[in-house]
Order: sequence, then C-alpha cells, then structure tokens
Amino acid sequence: MMTTSQPIDFFKRREFLRGGTLGIGSLALSQLLQQDVGASASSPTGIDTHFAPKAKRVIFLHMVGGPSQMDTFDPKPELDKWDGKSLPAELTRGQKFAFITPDARAIKSPYSFAPRGDSGIIMSELFPHLATVADELTVVRSMQTNEINHGSGELFLHTGHGQLGRPTFGAWTSYGLGSENSDLPSFVVLKDAPPNAGPGAWSSGFLPSKYQGTLFRTGDKPLFYLDNPHGVSRQERGDVVGAIKQMNSLAFDRYHDPEIQTRIAQYELAYRMQTSVPELADLASEPEHIRKLYGVDQTGPGADFARNCLLARRLCERGVRFVQIFNKGWDHHANIYTALPRSAQGVDQACAALIIDLKQRGLLDDTLVIWGGEFGRTPMVQEHNAGTGAKTPPGRDHHKECFSIWMAGGGIKKGFTYGATDDFGFGVTEKPMHVHDFHATCQHLLGIDHEQLTYRHQGRDFRLTDVHGHVAKEIIA
Amino acid sequence: MTTRFFQLTGTLVAALTCGISHGEEAVDFSDDIRPILSGRCFNCHGPDAGSREADLRLDIRDAAIEAGGIVPGNPDESLIIERVITKDRYDRMPPKGKALTEGEVDKLRRWIEAGAPYEAHWAYVKPKASAVAEKDGDDTSEASNPIDLFIRQRLEKADLEPAPPADPAVLLRRVSLDIIGLPPTPEEVKRFEKNPSKANYEREVDRLLASKHFGEKWAISWLDLARYADSNGYQHDDLRTMWPYRDWVVNAFNNDMPFDQFTIEQLAGDLLPNPTTSQRIATGFHRNVATNFSGGTKVAEVRAQVLHDRVSTTGQVWLGMTLECAQCHDHKFDPISQKEYYQFYAYFNQAIPEFEQKGVDMFRKFFIGEEVPYYASPADARRAQEIPAEIAHEEAKLDRKKPIALKGQTAWEKSFLAERRAKNVPWERFDAMARRGAQVLNKAPEKRSGDERQQVEALLFYDHPATGPHEKRIDELRAEMERIAPKTMVMMDTAEPMESRLFHRGDYTNPTDLVQPGFPKILHTPDADSPPNRLGLAEWLVHPENPLTARVTVNRLWAEIFGRGIVATPEDFGMQSPSPTHPELLDWLALEFIENDWSMKHLIKTMVLSSTYQQKSKASPELLEIDPANELLARGPRFRQSGELVRDNLLAVSGLLSRKMGGPAVFPVQPDGLWKDISTADVTVYPTSEGEDRHRRGLYTFLRRGNPYPSVLNFDGTNRSTCVVQRGRSNTAVQALNLLNDPVFVEAAEAFATMIEQFPGENCDKVTRAFQRAAARKPSDAELETLLSLYHKHNSWFSVAQVLLNLDETITKS
Repeated sequence: MMTTSQPIDFFKRREFLRGGTLGIGSLALSQLLQQDVGASASSPTGIDTHFAPKAKRVIFLHMVGGPSQMDTFDPKPELDKWDGKSLPAELTRGQKFAFITPDARAIKSPYSFAPRGDSGIIMSELFPHLATVADELTVVRSMQTNEINHGSGELFLHTGHGQLGRPTFGAWTSYGLGSENSDLPSFVVLKDAPPNAGPGAWSSGFLPSKYQGTLFRTGDKPLFYLDNPHGVSRQERGDVVGAIKQMNSLAFDRYHDPEIQTRIAQYELAYRMQTSVPELADLASEPEHIRKLYGVDQTGPGADFARNCLLARRLCERGVRFVQIFNKGWDHHANIYTALPRSAQGVDQACAALIIDLKQRGLLDDTLVIWGGEFGRTPMVQEHNAGTGAKTPPGRDHHKECFSIWMAGGGIKKGFTYGATDDFGFGVTEKPMHVHDFHATCQHLLGIDHEQLTYRHQGRDFRLTDVHGHVAKEIIA
Repeated sequence: MTTRFFQLTGTLVAALTCGISHGEEAVDFSDDIRPILSGRCFNCHGPDAGSREADLRLDIRDAAIEAGGIVPGNPDESLIIERVITKDRYDRMPPKGKALTEGEVDKLRRWIEAGAPYEAHWAYVKPKASAVAEKDGDDTSEASNPIDLFIRQRLEKADLEPAPPADPAVLLRRVSLDIIGLPPTPEEVKRFEKNPSKANYEREVDRLLASKHFGEKWAISWLDLARYADSNGYQHDDLRTMWPYRDWVVNAFNNDMPFDQFTIEQLAGDLLPNPTTSQRIATGFHRNVATNFSGGTKVAEVRAQVLHDRVSTTGQVWLGMTLECAQCHDHKFDPISQKEYYQFYAYFNQAIPEFEQKGVDMFRKFFIGEEVPYYASPADARRAQEIPAEIAHEEAKLDRKKPIALKGQTAWEKSFLAERRAKNVPWERFDAMARRGAQVLNKAPEKRSGDERQQVEALLFYDHPATGPHEKRIDELRAEMERIAPKTMVMMDTAEPMESRLFHRGDYTNPTDLVQPGFPKILHTPDADSPPNRLGLAEWLVHPENPLTARVTVNRLWAEIFGRGIVATPEDFGMQSPSPTHPELLDWLALEFIENDWSMKHLIKTMVLSSTYQQKSKASPELLEIDPANELLARGPRFRQSGELVRDNLLAVSGLLSRKMGGPAVFPVQPDGLWKDISTADVTVYPTSEGEDRHRRGLYTFLRRGNPYPSVLNFDGTNRSTCVVQRGRSNTAVQALNLLNDPVFVEAAEAFATMIEQFPGENCDKVTRAFQRAAARKPSDAELETLLSLYHKHNSWFSVAQVLLNLDETITKS
C-alpha cells in the first residue's frame, strides 16, 4: 500500500498505463514500478520476461557507413570472373542505388579469405585478431534493409523505420528491461564520431524520454554538467544538496506531490553520479595487460574505438543494459582498397579484446555483442565523386539487398555461419535476415517476444518490428 | 435476468452516466463495447479492407449482422461470442495475445442481448449544448463559472469535495506562469495579497493577458506543433531562416487573432485575396518540415516525405486524427480509407517544386520554393527600398569590360599567387578572396571550365584597384540587405492544379489511381463553393459543422493549464482514444470557443477564472490514491514547467532575464563542441551570443535539429523533427546536474547571490525576500532556518542562491 512517505511517481505510472499495453506489457511494468520508487530500487530480480533470457545486455558495435561484405565475411570468387563487366541486367534492373547506375561494372575483392578457428568460419585477411576468436562468432551473411542512404539506413537499423520519430532498439530494451544499476542510465551511447542520423540513432522516439540513450563523451568527463561550479567543494555541494532535500521535504508536506520525492531522489543520484561516472570512465585504473589487450594506449585511428570497447565492458559490469558504440569511416565510395584496411585495422584488435575480456570475466554468455553496418556495398565499382563528378580511385556504392554482420555471446551459436548470397554478393539466396528479423531475434535473446513488447502511441500499439519480424531460431545456441 | 430488465436498468444508469460501478450495470457501446471491438477485433475485422479476414467487418452494424458475426438479441447464435469463448486454440479469437476476459465476454453478451446497438463515435458528432451549464446560468454564487458546474457534478458522483482556494501569493504565481510564463515580482505579489478579491484577481488576469509576454509563452507549445526549428534536420542539417514565422506566432497570440483566422492564415495565407506579407509568412507553418537532403535521396522522395508530414501534422493539430495510419493501407481503427488519405494529400500536392538537385551529381539538394523578405522595423523596410538603387549606382561606376583588367589578368594571377606563397597577402584580403574560391587560381588556365573562368574574372575584378572598391561596396550592400531583409520560406501553389495519385503501399515510386482533393466521408461535407486547394482545406477545418477542430483545440489549451487533457490523448480523438473525463465540459468549452469568435484569450481567461483552477494544489493521501493523475480536479493543477520556462523563470528570479522580443534566434552559452557532433554539417561552430542575447527567453534559443540546446532537451523538449502534441514531463538526475552545474544557471545563481547580499536588513530579511522571489510565497520558519544555517555554514549567498534556484517549487507551477 502506498503511504505519503513513499514516493510513487504517478505521472510515469499513468504514462505507462496510458502507453503500455496492460498485461502483455508486464515485462516493462515490473521494472517501471520498481524504478518509479525513487532511485533507490535497483533490484533486477523481479524482471519478468516473455521467455527465459539468454542475453541480459547488449553491446552493439555499429560500423557507420556500411562495410563491404565481399571484402570481409562473404567471399565471392565468382566475382573475379566478372571483374570489369556489368552484372547480368536481370539482377540489377529496377534496383535502387545511391550514386551508381545499374550497369556499373563489377569489381573483385583483392583480399584472401581463409577458414578460421576450429569452426572454420571464413574471414578475409583484414581481421587477424578477430580470427583468433572466430569460434565465438556467428556470421550472418544474409542481412537486408530497406534504405540506401546513411541517415535513413542508420535509423532503419536502430528503429526499424527510415525516418525520425521511432524508438531505437536500445530505447525499447531500456523500456522493457530497465537498468540493473540505479546510479547509471540503462542505455549508454559511445562514439568516436557522430553517426549521420545524429541523436536520432539513440532516440526514445515516442517512448518517454527517460528511455533514450545517454551519450557518454570520450575522456574523463563523459557527461555534461558533472563538475561543480568553480570554487565549490564536494563538501559544500553535499550541503547544498542536503539543503535542497530539506526544503523539498518541507514542500512535500505542503503539497503532497509525489513528484517532489522523486526529485529529492534524483538530486541525491545526481550527487552520487558526480563521482561514480568519472570513476567509471577512469580507464587508467585498468591493469596494464587489459589496456594492452584492447590497445587503448595506441595513437592510431582505432584509439577511441578501443577505449570505447573497454568502457563498454566496464559499463556492462556495472549493470548497464545496452551500450551502443559508433565507429565512423566505413563509407568507402572511393579508394576502398586503401581505406578499408585502415578501417578494419582500427577495430580488429579491440573487437577481439572485447570478446576475450568478456569471456574471461564470465560475461560473454549473457552479453550479446553485435558488429555491423547500416547496409552493405555494391559488387559494382563507383569511380566518380558524387558531388563533383571527379574521377576517383575505385570504391563501392551503398547496397541494401545483402550485407554481413557478426554476433557473439548472449545465446548465439558459436562458430556458425548463417544465410547465403548469390555469386556476386548482390542478393540473398538463403535464409534472408531482414533488419526486422534481426530485431526480432535479438529481442528474443533478451527474453522479449517482439510481438508483445508494445507501446500505445497515436491510438496504435507500436513495436520495434512494426508488423514484421521472424526470430531466426537457427542462430540461437 | 431477463433482457428487459437489463434494458430498463440500462436506461436508468445511462441517465446518471459514469456512476460508480455496480455489478449489473448496463452496457454502453462507446464506453464498454467499442474499446473491445477496436482494440481486439478491428485489426482484422475493421475498416481496412486490405487486412480484413474472413470477409467479416465489425465496425459497421449491418455488415456484422449480415456476416453472422452478430445476431441481435441472441448472443449464443452470434459468431463473435462463439469464437471468443471457444477452447479450441486454433479457432479462438483474437488469434494473438490474451483471450478476452470473462468481464469482456459478459459485456459483449449483454450488449448483443440488448439488440447490439451501435453509436457513432462521439468525436465525429458535433458538440452539443449541455443542460448543466444552462440550468445554473443565472446563478451568481461562487460556482457561477460553468466549468465549475461540470467539474463539481463529476466530483459529487465520486463523493469528493473541491479543495479550498489557493493562497493569494501562490495563485498569482500560478496564473502568472500560466499566462505569461514568468513569475510575478514581489511587488505584484504584495499588491495582490492586500486585495485578493475576485474582482481584483480578474484585473490581474486581464493585466497578464494584455502583456506582450503572453504571446511568448503560448507560442512555445504551438511551435512544438508547427515543428518549428532553425535548421533542416538530418545529415547536413543546414541552417534556415524561419524566425519571422516564430514572430508571427507570438504576435498572433498577442493580438488574440481568432483561431479560425489563425488557422486559415497559417495553412493558406498565400491563397487569400491580395495576401499581405504577414499572411504569407504565416504559411511558414508547413515550410517548417524537416527535410532530408542527404546524398542519395531523390527530389521526388523528399517531396513525398514532406507532404506526408504536412498531412500527418494537419491531422494531429486540427482534427486529433491519426491520418498517417492510412498512408499504406486503410486505417485499422478509424473510418479513413487509403483513398481518403490521398485525397487529403492532394490538397498539399499543389505546392510548387520546393527542392532542387544542385551540382554535378546528387550530393546536395536545396530549397527553391517561395520566399519572402521580412523587415524587423519600418526603418529596415525603407532602407531595403534604397539599397537596390545604391547597388545599381555602384554597378554603373564599375566597368567590368575594362580592357585593362582583362589584359592584366595573367600578370595579376601570377603576382597574387606569388604574394600568397610568400605570405605577403594581408589576411583580410586573402580571406575575402578565399571565400570567393581563390583556390581555383591553382588550376592551370587551359584546364578551367567555363564557370571557373568566370570565377577567376570575378576574383580579378574584386582584387583590382580600379574595380575592387566598387565590388566591395556592392558586397557590403548585399550583406546589409540580407541582414535587414532576411528571406523566409512560405507556401505557394502552382497556377494549374497538379494531379495526385494513390501510392501503392505508401511508396512514392509506385503511384496508382488518380485522386481528387477531398475530405474523409465520416466528417462534414464542405460548402459547394469550397476551392479544391489549401484555402478550401483551412475553411473546412474551421467550418461550423466540423466536430473536431474546436474540441481538439480547447482540449490542448486545457491540458496546458490543467496538466492533462479532458481527452488524455490530445493528438488522437479516434476510436482508440480514451473517453473524455468530462465529455459535456469538453463540448461546452468547444461551443464557448466558437461563440466567442474563436478567442483563445477569452477561453484561457474563462479557465483561469474558474474556482477549479484556483484551488489549492495540495493532495491528501486519500485523494492521491483515488485520483493520482488529478483527472477529476478535486485540487488545483501542479506540475513542472517546460524546459524553456524553467530557464525563463530562473533568469527572471536572478534578475538576468532580457525582455527583448523577437528577431533572429540567439545562442546562449552551451557546452563546447555540440555542433561538431552533427555528422556532415557545413556549420559546426556555435556562434555564442554576446550581451543581453545570452539571457533571452528560451523561446528565442536557436534550435538546431541535429543537436538542440541541452537544457531544453534535458527537460523533455524535442528536436522538433516532427509535430509534438504533448511533451513528456520527466524527472531525472540529469536535470538536477543541469540546474546545479550548467554555466548559465551558475551565472544566474551568482547574480542572485549578489542581489541577495544587497537586499536591506538582517540576513533573515534577505533570505525571506530571496525565497519570495523564487516561490512568491513567504517561507515558513523551518524553511528560513534551513537556508540561514546553510548560509552560516559556508558564509556564502551563492549556496543559498543555488538552493533556491533548484527547489522543486521554483521549477514547478504549484
């Protein structure tokens, strides 16, 4: 029973009752009701899920720009024969491309591919570190999306919709499962450069704004406004927050508004975050061998990504539910054979380190790690700059019909390859995994039935997968 | 129990309406049955022909009966009962989700027994005058405001009493925040406390309604609807000049422009006879749409996205209808076909081309739609008249054909490049040249394109002593023109009507049948002479027969004042929306609004003069349990202010607020680097304002969609990429950090501390006065004691100022 001294956040509960579907939203309900009792409740034990969850948290490594599938995880020896020729017209007719025409000539991959690990997953030579953990991965070669532009493609990958306004996968996860740590946000975003869709790529859309991703900046002050004003000591700040608490308690006696008690709790949380967040971001406290494993002290292009991967592990250890990392530089319209190896090198070591490190801490089993871009690239060459028309060294255009991603941990099969594409890497021939299917599968791993986690908006029950989505049971261990 | 009995009881209970539930209450179609049918059945058996299963539709009575779904009077013969109670998991309806509860099945049974009467959805029927208001029309007692009659009638049914009136100081602050978005001064509070009579309260309300700050406050939520912003959104997020539209909104509110005119000017000001500049600027409403100009988007694709947004926004703002649900297929719940969607779309599909692809390939697109210049003052307008003549005068003195210039070109190029390499060119000169593309000089003359050759000539004229001064003067004049007569985007239609087609599955690349402009059949028919363009659309929206526009509008104004709409979903009055808590009040307000010439000031005044509004906001524990959301209004409204108003309030309390109105958006201090986070933007440097522009009202802060001002975002403001009908009202730790540590609020606390120090009298007097600035009321002894002991501990007014600016009461309307 509620008493006046127990702060219940009525507004949020009302919002929930209005928004979430009663009953089938009970997953979100259990957590919401707990979180609503100020900031002190953090017990994750009461979370109800639709299925027994295999994954408790997600680290999503988004390679912004769209890595080339033919040069990484989906070898196409047949393409060598077509090098310099247009692909069969029946294949390309009516297809949408961003910058090239359907008759653009094919270009082969210059990289060698080989089976890796005991499982024999095939990877190109671009990922020597990742090859050492191949037996932990499932490679999906049959990804498909609807969009051919970065902004809309990123939105589609994260929200299942190509325009702004829908909640992201991370926001849905945060809404459905909440956080295991009341001192930290449940959905954190790390980036070495911004994605094209900007904050839309971690938006809560029409869900309440508390479910949006919180952007942590690189460096020791990941959040704005963590520092006290100049000259204000921790002691003085503590006294100020204490006085605010006393004053707000007196106001509570006057108005009996439960929001006041939530606000008291939020000020106390803010005060704790002023120390807990910088402590969390302090990578110098990690032992030397871990820093080396990730390569955080390098000065190359991968330094920020390495630091973000290590920070992601620290966030997961502390109960953060969803860590979204953006790595920029995979939009290889031109000069792909100089730029792609650099991009791959920038992430290879840290990706492998993340898997090794999660595993040695027993976290990999219930942490779902995802690596991939918003779409793939054409088997055909792009040789002109889209803006100026100037001739450029060869590159590849955006491609939505197929692309490759990999996943690891969190209930995913180990050393497995799923789906297949045609001889050119143009279209899917076996087991397509559309972005909606990918979302359905990931939610399934988190214990969520993608058809059941809904939110009432504009008179309709929305879900991440809209009216689509099939769980790819075959990739689940 | 016999059917007769139920019918009889039904009539009785229905007459009492909304009573406390007793076991065998009659079943009401709108309250009990439609939510079940709409929520659990319409997805496959509703208005959408495309997804209809088994040829059964339950949204139309005759169709449901004909298909055997319902046999009136005989639930056991009715297919829908059989299918919802069957134990066969393959036959059971609905096929997904939980089975209907026993209570729901029982309601369906009793409804069918009673003959399965359908009712039109209330929102599609015109508002009705109500007996409640008329009965007591002459009553001069305290409850003479009809709002109170409706509210009390409902309270009585719930056995609740209204709360006593709020303290005068608290009330004046409440009404001041509601009407102008700024707190009262301590002098105003003192004056009102001396004479808090009804008449004097009304005088205060009138004073506030006449304030020029009224428009600034009420514009904020309208700009959310209009998705007003100062940039395009998406990848490049280029800047745009739309603030003249924002100023139009502020002025329209201040002039109490009748809402029908307010509607017509914004949707179709350009189509009025001899439109004024102001009427054309009003049409910026629909030029505000976010536009995706990134790399591979197609012009036709951008246009379709923009037009869909215009349809969706118009539907939500005026009709409370989710039209966009019928973009790809017939609406699943509301009676709107896909064809009707595209008929509505056709009103907007008359616009001239608004976007163009520029450059060799498809990298960037630009606006080419209609623009008008906007003058901030008559002096600027006069000056703008003079400038073209001055430019012509300079042009006349400038002989660009002068052979000296052309003959000397090669020599000039060499010397310029040599000087530059030697770093002898003064920066000023080189920068000016670089802005004109001096890089082109590095290209060998024989390799230059036609455009580039012209560019080089222009550079030469600019740099040459004979022509340069004139060129520079022309540049200055053009820059001045841009500054005093900024161009803002407005709507314009093509001379000849354009054809519109239905898009198969909403895909613009797949147009099918031709459609003519038209309105959903469920609503009223337009006048016979209604033009088939946006003007016809706007007139239809504010037509006396329109059942929605007035209701939807008063509901939004009500929600802004009372914290919650009479319909809890102000953007959706459709079948899936929750029933109004006070349906008769909603209708009364709608009719009152129309009868009083659609005056928003009149309506707001009526609301704040009600006793309902003036109640204490304190909730007893019992009341919190019965009515946590304050739906019944047995207490006054209390909720946190929006992000813009939190800022305005703290700046006002600390004395820093600038009251300057209108003009270009401003750039208050924000954390470094935010604009660098916008992916491929050209403009990445945030030009922090100087002087009073740092302390303007939140309304004037530049809204960059790609990364909006954090202290508005943290308090549930949005990037305004789409129409926002109702903001959230979150309560987070990030907000606490924001108010405690944001340099803007630290500066406010410093200014406030200085002010407190200079207050006359003892510390106790200083603290009392400071508290009153923040909360309007006098502090209690305990409050005074808390603040004084903090002061004594650190000997710092700054700490006290910080506490006062961070109080729940300071950022909340109490």
